Amino acid sequence: MIVARTTRRWLWFAGSVAAAAAAPFAVPHPFLFSLLIQATIWALLTASWDLLSGYTGQISFGHSGFFALGAYTAAGLAYHVDVSPWFGLVAGAALCSLVGLCVGFPALRLRGHYLALVTLGFAEIVRLVAQNWIPVTGGPFGMHDFGTLPGLPADPLRHNEILYLVVLGITVAAIALMLVVCEHTDAGKAFRAIREDQVLAESHGINIKVYKLYAFALSAALAGLAGGLYAFSIGLVDPNLASPLTSAMILGMAVFGGLGTIWGPALGAVLLFMMSEGLRFVGVVYNLIAFGAVIMVFVIFVPRGIAGLRFGSRSRLSRRDVTQSKLGPNRPQSSGGR
Amino acid sequence: MLESIVEFLILGIILGGIYALFSTGLTLIFGVLDVINVAHGEFFAIGGYIVFAAVVLLHLSPVLGILAATSGSFLLGLAVYPLLIRPLKRRLGRRPQGPLFLVLTLGLSTFLQSTLLAIGGGDYLRIPPFVRGMLDLGFTAVSYQRLLVLAVATVSLASLFLFLHFHRQGVAIRAVALNPDAAQAVGINLGMIFTLALALGVALAGMAGALIAPLFNVYPAVGFAFTIKAFAITILGGLGNLAGALLASFVIAIVETLSVLVIPSQWQNVIAFAIMILVLLVRPQGLLGRADRE
Repeated sequence: MIVARTTRRWLWFAGSVAAAAAAPFAVPHPFLFSLLIQATIWALLTASWDLLSGYTGQISFGHSGFFALGAYTAAGLAYHVDVSPWFGLVAGAALCSLVGLCVGFPALRLRGHYLALVTLGFAEIVRLVAQNWIPVTGGPFGMHDFGTLPGLPADPLRHNEILYLVVLGITVAAIALMLVVCEHTDAGKAFRAIREDQVLAESHGINIKVYKLYAFALSAALAGLAGGLYAFSIGLVDPNLASPLTSAMILGMAVFGGLGTIWGPALGAVLLFMMSEGLRFVGVVYNLIAFGAVIMVFVIFVPRGIAGLRFGSRSRLSRRDVTQSKLGPNRPQSSGGR
Repeated sequence: MLESIVEFLILGIILGGIYALFSTGLTLIFGVLDVINVAHGEFFAIGGYIVFAAVVLLHLSPVLGILAATSGSFLLGLAVYPLLIRPLKRRLGRRPQGPLFLVLTLGLSTFLQSTLLAIGGGDYLRIPPFVRGMLDLGFTAVSYQRLLVLAVATVSLASLFLFLHFHRQGVAIRAVALNPDAAQAVGINLGMIFTLALALGVALAGMAGALIAPLFNVYPAVGFAFTIKAFAITILGGLGNLAGALLASFVIAIVETLSVLVIPSQWQNVIAFAIMILVLLVRPQGLLGRADRE
């Protein structure tokens, strides 16, 4: 039964990925592909946030900091040292993972509000360094002209098509990695236990320090990878990447998609990004107003996000799967309100 | 050297007054509702916009402008608890809240900020000083505008203190902050106190925004920098600790202004966060905190 359900979920996953890869070729236009590339990067970034904050319950307000750090590392290596962009991507992710450990270490003692505020402070420090360390980061206007991924065709449409497939491939691999870690390893169980009750988890012999740091390092690395992909896709990095607004968008997208499901926030990011870009045609400001309203409405009224709305029967199954470790016989069954 | 230290010390104390108005409101809201109001800075910005509308567009006197800004943000604040916080509190019941209120007020912040952008445009609005002239201290001069900021901040904070300690509703607010269940048991209307505390808190932010408007310019995102700095201040003071927030406001403001003497001024803004992270590592309960709340 469990095997069958797991197989069915992975089939769903593979099916939607194939659809996402093939569908846009029906409307071949460089602009569409450029939007899709950004949406995919947001999906990776939001899913990485969800691993740490939704799934493990360690609320980070600083993922914009990891995102920017990854972007600046990738761009800076390409610009100043002239190494292969692929190396820049990996280096950005590795550096973020290290920094994630450094941020996560003091965070071992902190929970809830305190952790949120520390990570917010971290992102703000990244932003201020990016803005003021002018020789390396280019200052307030950021860096550009550091090239893109090697071997892409020059024709804009072909360029964006191939780039989209590359970004989608990396994103899907990263999301699959997170899903495997969460659903099929001991770490996933430990993450859930920490989220639900870390004292209880510790008393059951789970080494919560190690698993928290694991979640921090993995989540930060993937956020940094998203940053590197962003740098090479957009061709411009500036200090605003690290602004709290970026973190706000991540949180909004994750809540919209459904916290603690990994795939929900990724889907939420794509949908909300497309909605926000679509509303640009109505007015540049109104998309942000709608963004704020969507966040508030979803937090209050749709706590499980679209992951809980769609596929009604399936989500009930997966919810029980997600929550089976925490539910006592008389505990109300609702997972949205952690 | 000594003269410039004293000069920066004075500037720091005045900046501390603004920080104090702002973070006292934030701390009050956290202490009573257990909600960190990420949208606090937007009420600061709203205060600035109201004073701009009153003083520059309608040519009213600055006193009226500040009053309008304070009461305007108070009235807006009255709506926040019934419309946003209560529905979520009710749905959560006794379950732990996690990040949900942070996300909720973050949504409110985005909403208000972009609404301001839609109404007022993205321009930096300039507001003339409410009072002109400088006070000559011999070695340096302080503008009356800055002294006015300090005076109004002192008076408002003093009246807030008196209100919380001697007025019936103020005492009720402190009772709810100490223990909501016990407060409810002695007949305090929790909903009303929550509404009142939130409105008072954001009214202080609105007043701070109006007061400082002539020194900074007014634009939609003006408050966000204050919000995150206020987080550092509330951490240093101990979350929910009013006296601590007051003390920490002046500590951070003075350290920030004095730091210009030793490090380049563009790094000034890093200091608050460095202090915050240091405090969290060394003394997570804050300057005046006793037990660890979390």
